[in-house]
Amino acid sequence: MIVLPALPHRYVGWRANYSPRNRAAAGGFVYSSLLDKHPPDNAEDMSNADLATARRSELSGLLERVAGGDRKALAAVYDRTSAKLFGVCLRITRDREAAEDVLQDVYLKVWNRAGRFDRTFASPITWLCAIARNAAIDWVRKHGTLVLPVADPETPGSAEIDEAMEAMAEGEERALIFDCLEALPANQQRAIRLAFFDGSSHSELASIMQVPLGTTKSWIRRGLQQLRGCLESG
Amino acid sequence: MDSKLTPEMAAMAAELALGVLEGEERAEALRHALSDPAFAEAVRQWQAQLDPLGEGFAEAPAPNLWSAIEARLDAQPRAEEVSKIRIWQGATVLAGALAAGLAAVAIFNSAAVRETPQTTAPVVIAQLSGTDGTLLAANLDTQGGALTIRAVALPQSELVPELWVIPGDGVPRSLGLISPEGMTRVALSESLRPLVVDGAILAVSLETASGAPHTAPSSTPIAMGKISAI
Repeated sequence: MIVLPALPHRYVGWRANYSPRNRAAAGGFVYSSLLDKHPPDNAEDMSNADLATARRSELSGLLERVAGGDRKALAAVYDRTSAKLFGVCLRITRDREAAEDVLQDVYLKVWNRAGRFDRTFASPITWLCAIARNAAIDWVRKHGTLVLPVADPETPGSAEIDEAMEAMAEGEERALIFDCLEALPANQQRAIRLAFFDGSSHSELASIMQVPLGTTKSWIRRGLQQLRGCLESG
Repeated sequence: MDSKLTPEMAAMAAELALGVLEGEERAEALRHALSDPAFAEAVRQWQAQLDPLGEGFAEAPAPNLWSAIEARLDAQPRAEEVSKIRIWQGATVLAGALAAGLAAVAIFNSAAVRETPQTTAPVVIAQLSGTDGTLLAANLDTQGGALTIRAVALPQSELVPELWVIPGDGVPRSLGLISPEGMTRVALSESLRPLVVDGAILAVSLETASGAPHTAPSSTPIAMGKISAI
């Protein structure tokens, strides 16, 4: 693995072309495609939370149709979620071509597994993101990555996630785990964020955070235990 | 929670769910997820707790890949569209055809074949093949108490391969989950031993790790082959 001091141009390039701040300002939501393309008739009267619920319900219904073999429903799921899932794949693989390949695999997995989606147990976008994240992590563990993400919280990567989380907090009820994550000590929080959002492995975390492997392992383990304690007491 | 696991195993389950494991540690954790239901359940619980963080990923404009995805859907049979019973009955016919090609089989344990005198029990082997180059090779211990299967080439999947035997009655019985890479030794219970014999079909389908061994496959087999004594 090669640790580069700066991100390659390609990696920076798509970020430069894409501003979540502008998008959030324009649409009011990070996950805005549903709203953009299919505004409910009474959109102006609906609160953000109502809209979030309506979007979730619509996407759940589409996944249930996919489970029944409805290809048009899968096309609609792609239409509504590909930007989000491509964001997941690109962030973790850090390679545009790989992210495109993984994204195709993700929608084939969605097609094959939609029967296991249960709207009473999971939000549809959470379920889809988990498939994308796991597929992308499989890819990087198999192929390795060319560059490491940077640990500095001021980097565009972290800022994007902060914005995504802020927009989510405005738009719909934020999952408890975000509050629990923010309550962790700084190093534990950073290690878990890098692992979750950048797909960093133990050895990558040690390189990025410039501490011995045992230290990051201990941060991860203590951080996960504290997260679980927080989730179960909340 | 995690009460059946040692602290070390509980931590490994959490790390597998988070995705930080790599190399041999990841392989070991994936093996545990296949073979230890308590471990698999701990991984599932951690995933359920961590997955909501996924909402925090920022979007990135995706290229239009829909037509490519649709083309791949066309190339992929959908289990739910066809009666599962028909598929598994058809499997027997297809495996018969595959067995005709067994002359070209690259015998998995050729050393064992050479070292086995003709007078002792026959070596029992099977080659399981499917579309897209999926290939597995199996051999049966001479006493019939265990089967060793080697995954030569399997499609990449988050699902795990489950091995089935389809004896003469055409009803698949699970032999349990196997590793997607390398060799797995599958112990055969007393009730299964009489079924894993010359002429029976071995098949592999992709399944969820939880709940295994399953009572029936949930999808079409990705590979199958006939057991042959040579």
